[in-house]
Amino acid sequence: MKVLEVRDIQKTFGDFTAVDNLAFSIDEGVIFGLLGPNGAGKTTTIRMIMNIIIPDSGSVAILGHTDPRKANDFIGYLPEERGIYRKMKITELLYFMAELKRMPKREAKESADYWLERVDLIDWKKKKVEELSKGMQQKLQFVTTLLHKPRLLILDEPFGGLDPINQNLIKDILLDLKKDGTTIIFSTHVMESAEKLCEEIFLINEGKQVLYGKLSEIKKGFGRMNIHMVYEGSDDFLKTSDQIQKYNNYGNYVEVQLVKDADTQRLLKSAVQSVKIQKFEIMEPSLHDIFIESVQDVHGGGRGHV
Amino acid sequence: MGEEEAMYKKIFAIVKREFLTRAKTKGFIIGTLIFPLMLFLIFGGFFLVSKLFQPSTKTFYVVDETDLIFNGFVELLPDTLKNGMPKFRFIEQTITAESMEATIDEFQERVLNKEIDGYIIIPEDVVEAREVRYSARNVGDFEEQGEIRRAISRIVTNIRLERKGISADEIRREFNMGNVRLVSRQITDEGEIEKSGVSSYILTYILTYVLFLMMMIYGAMLMRSVIEEKSQRITEGIVSTVKPVELMMGKIVGISALGLTQLAVFGGIMVIVVRFAEPLFRKLGVSAGEVLQVIRQVQFPLPVFLFMLLFFLMGFIFYSALYAALGAMVNSEDEAQQMQFPLIFLFLFGYFMMLTVARNPDTARAFWISLIPPFTPLVMFTRVAVSTPIIPSGTYLSILTMLAAIVLMIMVTAKIYRVGILMYGKKATIKEAIKWLRYK
Repeated sequence: MKVLEVRDIQKTFGDFTAVDNLAFSIDEGVIFGLLGPNGAGKTTTIRMIMNIIIPDSGSVAILGHTDPRKANDFIGYLPEERGIYRKMKITELLYFMAELKRMPKREAKESADYWLERVDLIDWKKKKVEELSKGMQQKLQFVTTLLHKPRLLILDEPFGGLDPINQNLIKDILLDLKKDGTTIIFSTHVMESAEKLCEEIFLINEGKQVLYGKLSEIKKGFGRMNIHMVYEGSDDFLKTSDQIQKYNNYGNYVEVQLVKDADTQRLLKSAVQSVKIQKFEIMEPSLHDIFIESVQDVHGGGRGHV
Repeated sequence: MGEEEAMYKKIFAIVKREFLTRAKTKGFIIGTLIFPLMLFLIFGGFFLVSKLFQPSTKTFYVVDETDLIFNGFVELLPDTLKNGMPKFRFIEQTITAESMEATIDEFQERVLNKEIDGYIIIPEDVVEAREVRYSARNVGDFEEQGEIRRAISRIVTNIRLERKGISADEIRREFNMGNVRLVSRQITDEGEIEKSGVSSYILTYILTYVLFLMMMIYGAMLMRSVIEEKSQRITEGIVSTVKPVELMMGKIVGISALGLTQLAVFGGIMVIVVRFAEPLFRKLGVSAGEVLQVIRQVQFPLPVFLFMLLFFLMGFIFYSALYAALGAMVNSEDEAQQMQFPLIFLFLFGYFMMLTVARNPDTARAFWISLIPPFTPLVMFTRVAVSTPIIPSGTYLSILTMLAAIVLMIMVTAKIYRVGILMYGKKATIKEAIKWLRYK
């Protein structure tokens, strides 16, 4: 059974089409990336899945229920706009959020203790939310979405505003949840973190679908590889090579994007002739590249040498 | 479990949160206990002030050129102050025509030196010209001047009557005998009953004032609670689980339950004071007769109290729906301040309506005003309280129209609320809010 099925949803606000006929479905236990630049319609899509906004047309089925209320208790949702009741005690807040998902108090207590321990907030249990730092409040809100053991977890930019240590902590938790069969929708415009976590992605831009499928297949289908090079010498050989789509010199290393079906050996040969090679690594295209290329495609241009 | 039941459970969780997080604050607990205490302190304060700052005996020089008036005049003003001292002390002085100016200068000096408070000159032709000169350091006390004027007038009247050969005493007796007493009785379903009008007015004014304050304070509390959720970006996490209208209803019910609790505590404290204050005062050796007189008159007839709860609830829900919509339209309390004026105006208008209706609760005008939903809670309650134990015409009709208005109001404001709580960034105009009503 599909955990989530989105069927041709559409939403306009006045003249502005925020979401244009999107359709996708997610299997159990998958980490699904809902990707797109700022303002692409990710949050509107999520809000329609959460029944906060009603689509103009199309429908959403969660765990087989088309009535969103029937599935609600099995979903955990972390909105992009964060905020929790600051005047409440941490435990009070957690019990309240669990009660909204109709979790019995006793179970809520156990679950709260477990998760507070897990995100390192157990010592703050008796404190008020407003006494926590911003990062701690974010972790606490993350916990509120997990408390009731959701089968579908929807996270809108979960890493925003977190330091690398806490980002890692959240990432580990997500991978553990996935192992237990939790389905996770991960919405972000930061491709590096999506690349680490997602098996499937759905890339949208200006409300329309751009890419959809397994990340590995999308990369394969992209048909182009990148090369990381470190060398001593001038960039000139890169400018003259017909194998190169474009390149970026970051100072410490150079990232080279090849043309379709390029011959990497020929590039290496010409490199050896002109500079002293320290590193020459053939890489899969990064999601970042795919993202930029696909989004720029939609805009109809922007390719070429840098 | 049915979806209905699930919905109610979730709304209940919100009600509980709204109620408990506020009821547990020190501010609420102290406010609930202190407010009635303050009320009594204010009452007691008035009482004490009136005790402490009693006027002292006033001394006047009186020049009676007729030689007919002074004795009778002094006899007519034997009032004593509460501390047992006489209210006035009159000292007769004589003036000759030659020394007139010098004597008056002397009087004036004595007034300015605070030896005396003033002087009165009753001229020889007072019976004909009917004018008396009253000079004092302070001529602002109309009550005092009135007493003096009436006393002299009475004697002058006596003299004039006697000159015509009429016995003043007899006439006065006849006038007094002619006074009749109105035995007022109110006609009720249980027959006619005797009732004093004063106590029900005091009761009504106090209760409506409390009602008015509570609706305003709690409405604003609800608005702040909506703004908090909106400005802290809490709303989205909540409305992903419950519908916005359910969140709104949960908040309204939770906060009105808080208001009812406070009202019940106030009522309880009142009852206790009425019951136990008198013996307590007596034990302490304080004669607080006057304060208690007032308190004892302010009884709570049960139907009035029940109507108060009903109208409070209805008024509260009506206004808090408005406040919720207002809160959803703004981003901060500052913005809310500016947009709150029409609402406050509505409140005040209702309050002034209430004041006029209290005097004439049975006119057609009062009837129609009490059917206008924004005014119904205060105005209709006033009519009920003033007319007690009669239920005035239109009471049940007004309850029906009010309920209909509440349903309509919630339907309308829920739409504004639903869109508004997720609109961040800018304050909505009334025009935009009206547009929101049409959103799917």
